[in-house]
Amino acid sequence: MSEPTNTLDGKAASAEGALAKGAKGGKDAKERVASLWTDAWYDLRRNPLFIIGGLLVLFMVALAVAPQLFTDKDPNSAGFCELASSLKRPSADHWFGFDVQGCDIYTRTVWGARNSIIVGILTTSLVVLVGGTLGLLAGWLTGFWDSLLSRVTEIFFAIPLLLGGMLIMSTWQKGNAWTVSAVMAVLGWPQIYRLMRSAVISNKHNDYVVAARALGAGTRRIVTRHILPNAVAPVIVVSTINLGVYIGAEAALSYLGIGIQSPAISWGLMISDAQSRFLNAPHVLLFPAAVLSITVLAFIMLGDAVRDALDPKLR
Amino acid sequence: MRLTKTMRLTAMAACAALAISACSTSSGDKKSSDQASGGSGKTGGSISVQLGEPQNGLVPQNTAESEGTQVLHGLFAGLVEYDNKTNEPKLRMAESIETTDSTVWTIKLKDGYTFHNGEKVTAQNYVDAWNYGANQDNAQQALPFFDKILGSDELAPGKDKKPTAKELKGLKVVDDKTFTVTLKAPFSQFKTMLGYNAFYPLPKAFFTDPKAFDDAPIGNGPFQMDGKWQHNQQIKVKRYDNFPAADGKAKLDSVTFKIYDKLETAYNDLRADNIQITNKLPISAMATVAQEFGDRYIYKPEASVGYLGFPIATNPAFAKADLRKAISMAIDRDAITKTIFSGTRKPADDFVSPIVPGYRQGACGDACKYDPAKAKELFTQAGGLPGNKLEIGYNADGGHKEWIEAVGNQLKNNLGIDVTFKPFEKFGKILDALGKKEYTGAFRMAWSMDYPSIEDYLRPIFSKIAIDNGSNYGGYVNEDFEALLAKADSAKTDAEGLKLYQQADDILLKDLPYIPVYTYMSSAAYTKTVKNVVVDAQNRIDLANVELA
Repeated sequence: MSEPTNTLDGKAASAEGALAKGAKGGKDAKERVASLWTDAWYDLRRNPLFIIGGLLVLFMVALAVAPQLFTDKDPNSAGFCELASSLKRPSADHWFGFDVQGCDIYTRTVWGARNSIIVGILTTSLVVLVGGTLGLLAGWLTGFWDSLLSRVTEIFFAIPLLLGGMLIMSTWQKGNAWTVSAVMAVLGWPQIYRLMRSAVISNKHNDYVVAARALGAGTRRIVTRHILPNAVAPVIVVSTINLGVYIGAEAALSYLGIGIQSPAISWGLMISDAQSRFLNAPHVLLFPAAVLSITVLAFIMLGDAVRDALDPKLR
Repeated sequence: MRLTKTMRLTAMAACAALAISACSTSSGDKKSSDQASGGSGKTGGSISVQLGEPQNGLVPQNTAESEGTQVLHGLFAGLVEYDNKTNEPKLRMAESIETTDSTVWTIKLKDGYTFHNGEKVTAQNYVDAWNYGANQDNAQQALPFFDKILGSDELAPGKDKKPTAKELKGLKVVDDKTFTVTLKAPFSQFKTMLGYNAFYPLPKAFFTDPKAFDDAPIGNGPFQMDGKWQHNQQIKVKRYDNFPAADGKAKLDSVTFKIYDKLETAYNDLRADNIQITNKLPISAMATVAQEFGDRYIYKPEASVGYLGFPIATNPAFAKADLRKAISMAIDRDAITKTIFSGTRKPADDFVSPIVPGYRQGACGDACKYDPAKAKELFTQAGGLPGNKLEIGYNADGGHKEWIEAVGNQLKNNLGIDVTFKPFEKFGKILDALGKKEYTGAFRMAWSMDYPSIEDYLRPIFSKIAIDNGSNYGGYVNEDFEALLAKADSAKTDAEGLKLYQQADDILLKDLPYIPVYTYMSSAAYTKTVKNVVVDAQNRIDLANVELA
């Protein structure tokens, strides 16, 4: 994928190390081409942090894609919420009990995963797309465009994610998964922009780029084949960690009543609704809060593991 | 009365956000009037009482929210006061209030009342105070209450216009003890209005320095200020010894209103006996307060009624009375008040609060009874709603989300419609959006009286005139209803007026321009240190009667 990486001494050494480890494992050691990505994958497979985080993330994605597999009830159907069951404790039939409106908390928690995952993935994709592209452009073009983009970025960078999100959402007043993602993406892209830009600048003057240029490669080839693959690693690391942060931020906005709006289901909203009765009925708050924490934790664990695998300095 | 109402309802909503008990009313059942005047009880002692920071300076004509009203209640004495049980008006500072045609009213004052600075209370003090309150240049909150008096239009011609007179034509001082009030049109409930703090008198000293009055008012009531209002900390009052003993001289030496911004803190202080009385309890206390305070916990119906409203004039989807009735019948009021409000509100069965003379239990009949099967049938017959969808708006700052969602779920379950919710930042924002016809969904609404009269639950929210000059946000108009109100206004006797108002109420119950959902209950508690604690029709603690146990 990115052969020039091996020309770097440090990388080559680490690749050898990996090869040696692989040889000890005794599996297809001689066939393996050592690159940053194969090394990373090799490391990841052996990192319990990655395995636990990955499984949890997979589970959450499964909840988001097919909640019907995990519960036979539909929270949008008539008769789902009956005041008669208000605040009932967890039981064998209803694992998480009922909330104040008499809705089954387990079903709502399962269906609530969808909005969280949508917001997380959508925001991260938008941020990577916008921040990444602009960062690449700024780092590659330098000069006037770099200055211009960087000043614009600084303006956005000065607005805190939650505070800015509250401001925009409370004025806009159209809370759903898409608008929340859009707002957070607008406020979140500068971080990725900066990462991408500095990675591009540091890679630009490396020998393999100079060599490729000397061999007559065009701008597009140099950027896509040589610079991007080597600059994208830090972006992936930060994005994975941020995915969890965005899910948490969505919950915070919904908690404040300006994110996703009822009757749509969001964990943040469920927590917010439950807090006034926490002393009488703690289960209404604890279940969605626990699932939210686990989800955010899963993404952060995953991000941590990916960072360990991709950052050569940590080896 | 739009301004006052809006402020008041906003204040109420804010209160409800903090505590289950909103900012109004409850009728007492422990009134000990014998002891009060007989002097058999102990006198002396000091207590502290919970208070929220009042909104404005302590001028009666500029006070329309519960906290300032509570303080003024002890500092001033009105022409009439309301019976703690029946809420009927009875004379206090007035010796007599008489009329033959419900238009010209002759008010005679009792002897022996003085302001706290020694000035005698005369008819002129009342006339001056009302002229001040009615003049729009003074921008007093209670201005709409003077609207019925002849000449009020000259003093309050409206925005961008200058008042053309300084005095109300309808007010005439006959002698030191007598004055007459001429109204624009007959109004049989005028006497009832007079207990409201807008109609308190003001001493001469007020007009020389109105600003000083804000923090240290000089009243004619059983208590006088002890020092100035210390903002966000406390207001201290002490007994006024020259108050006529027959009219309920205060028993305590002094009362300190401690100002809290969190009801939880106040409640903890109550449990520690740092304060002795509170008339607002936090939601978190509701589950245990009855057990902890026993018969020192007061729990009574109060003046506010919660409705679900429809913009009939702007949204033709809600035009059919049967459709509104179907929605009403699909709401399980009992379940909502019991589970969502933990019994701190009661299902409504009339447009009028239960504490007001003229309220009839079960007046709403079948329309307010939960009957999902019939509701569905009626709903289908009436043609349903376009797209099978209903939107309900509410203000997000007042703790209304839960019950609105519960109503939404019930309508969804029972009528098979999709219900969505639209939270507005503040109550005022819904009213603005409705006024500008930007919002055409159903909306939550609540109403609290300004004076305990059935009329105050009908005209300000459902009459034609209230569309532009009041709080008729649904745009409901019914000519029969208008005719009955006019007839009731000019009734010769209270009883005759009451009957006619009830007939007007009947028309509302048939048409259901709003759906009455629940009535509020007020809750108060006091410690073992005090006794004779009574919470009155406007959720005010009757402090003059309180004594140490």
